[in-house]
Amino acid sequence: MTRLLRSPAGACAMLALAWFVLVPLLRVPPLILPSLPAILRDAFSVWPALLAGFLITMLETVLGFLLGAGLGFGAGAAFAYAGWLERAMLPLFVASQTVPVIAFGAIVVIWFGNTLFAKIMIAFYLTFLPVTVATIRGLQSCDPERLDLMRGFGSSAWQRFVKLALPSAAPVIMVGLKIGIALSLIGAIVGEWFGATVGLGVMLLQSLYFEQTARVWVLIIACGGMGATLTGAISLTGRRFIWWRPG
Amino acid sequence: MRRKRIPEGQGQPCRAAVPGSPALLELVRVSKHFGRPPHQTVAVRHLDIAIRPGQFVTLIGPSGCGKSTLFNMIAGLLPPDPDGTILFGGEAQRGGALLGRVSFMPQKDLLFPWRTVLDNATLALEVEGVARRTARARAGALFPEFGLQGFERHYPHQLSGGMRQRVALMRTFLFERELILLDEPFGALDALTRTIMQRWLLDIWARHRRTVIFITHDIDEAIFLGDRVLVMTARPGTIALDEPIDIPRPRDAEVITSAAFVAIKRRLLAILERESLKSFAVVPP
Repeated sequence: MTRLLRSPAGACAMLALAWFVLVPLLRVPPLILPSLPAILRDAFSVWPALLAGFLITMLETVLGFLLGAGLGFGAGAAFAYAGWLERAMLPLFVASQTVPVIAFGAIVVIWFGNTLFAKIMIAFYLTFLPVTVATIRGLQSCDPERLDLMRGFGSSAWQRFVKLALPSAAPVIMVGLKIGIALSLIGAIVGEWFGATVGLGVMLLQSLYFEQTARVWVLIIACGGMGATLTGAISLTGRRFIWWRPG
Repeated sequence: MRRKRIPEGQGQPCRAAVPGSPALLELVRVSKHFGRPPHQTVAVRHLDIAIRPGQFVTLIGPSGCGKSTLFNMIAGLLPPDPDGTILFGGEAQRGGALLGRVSFMPQKDLLFPWRTVLDNATLALEVEGVARRTARARAGALFPEFGLQGFERHYPHQLSGGMRQRVALMRTFLFERELILLDEPFGALDALTRTIMQRWLLDIWARHRRTVIFITHDIDEAIFLGDRVLVMTARPGTIALDEPIDIPRPRDAEVITSAAFVAIKRRLLAILERESLKSFAVVPP
């Protein structure tokens, strides 16, 4: 029982219980915080749209993340081994991230239209940098003595990369991926604000517009659930396959 | 400074290769400096060493005498200054040519934490392109000899320091090269484990008969293991003494208290102490 209470699921249940009991007890106005049954009722009433929205936003998030993780890793690896490239390009990459995603989002929609691809691009844009930076740091922190050992065995640069640098960097890259997936979700939701018909982001915008407080809370919970699921999936994969410490 | 000539050097050391030299490894006036003249450090200066195949040579010297620099040069990781030559098998080695020709083991075990003991042992074989199954079979056969049977599937963090060191040694032995370089392999072990490992190493060496250069800062270890002890001076490191150890093999633990052993030890201690004090002395720039 105590183990269940200490788990994340237990904490969620406690929070839900508090919500369920305290909101009617303290007579919190629905505009501030609707009661839990009201939120559940609202979720039930839009069930098909909610499910479709959940799936499409998840698709955008995952595709944007995969693209960002793949290219981020590639760029990070290139930067880690070509110092001049890092010095020339990395500041540009960092500067690009200081452009608010909203401004960037408008441009992407102008370029690619109101398509799935436009949302994926925005999710990609946010995922890319943390993965790049984590890859650079991970690969550069490779133990020089172990590199010497590998050189002493007459290894090729590729062998040193695959057998040593990459596994050493893997725990650091995992951290980048975890940050990346959370940002990718934000990118997908923001991307939908620039014009989409299906998705959690669209529903969020509509409910804000019509002041449907309960609906907003439904969507907050849905987005939170998706974020937790995706981050958890990455964490679990990481712990299963990359259990050693960096360095 | 007066320096004893190395007997294997075949007379005066010279710059050219000695054709047909029986030495497996020969260092001819090898020096190494770091940095530029105002802040230059000379790590080793004019080293002349010749090592015959099958010899167990131990190298000892005060801390900071350039032992590890020498080690890195012989391993091919560090180029010597251009005026010196390293000959391996009678051929001059230039520009990292020694990489992959010498089997070496640094001070730390440097095992890869994500690999099992077995996969750590086969690392060098894998790099050489030996098929995984063959590599594992060859490593597997050595496990009893290295006292690691039953630990094939363990990970390095599950082993004691002595066991990790044996895995690292096995990895080094599996990289079958004529010359093995060992840099204080037992330095981090407690005294008891160390003496056990020393006897065990001699056992292994007697069976496999490779040429070994063994760096240590422990006089007993140097005499107990070696056919020859090379004593280095304080920085810049040169060879202060080349002492043949005629104590018959197999040597057991009691050897350390024998008269012959003690006599050698006294000689080495005197020189080592002199050199160690030098490295403490304040030398005006």
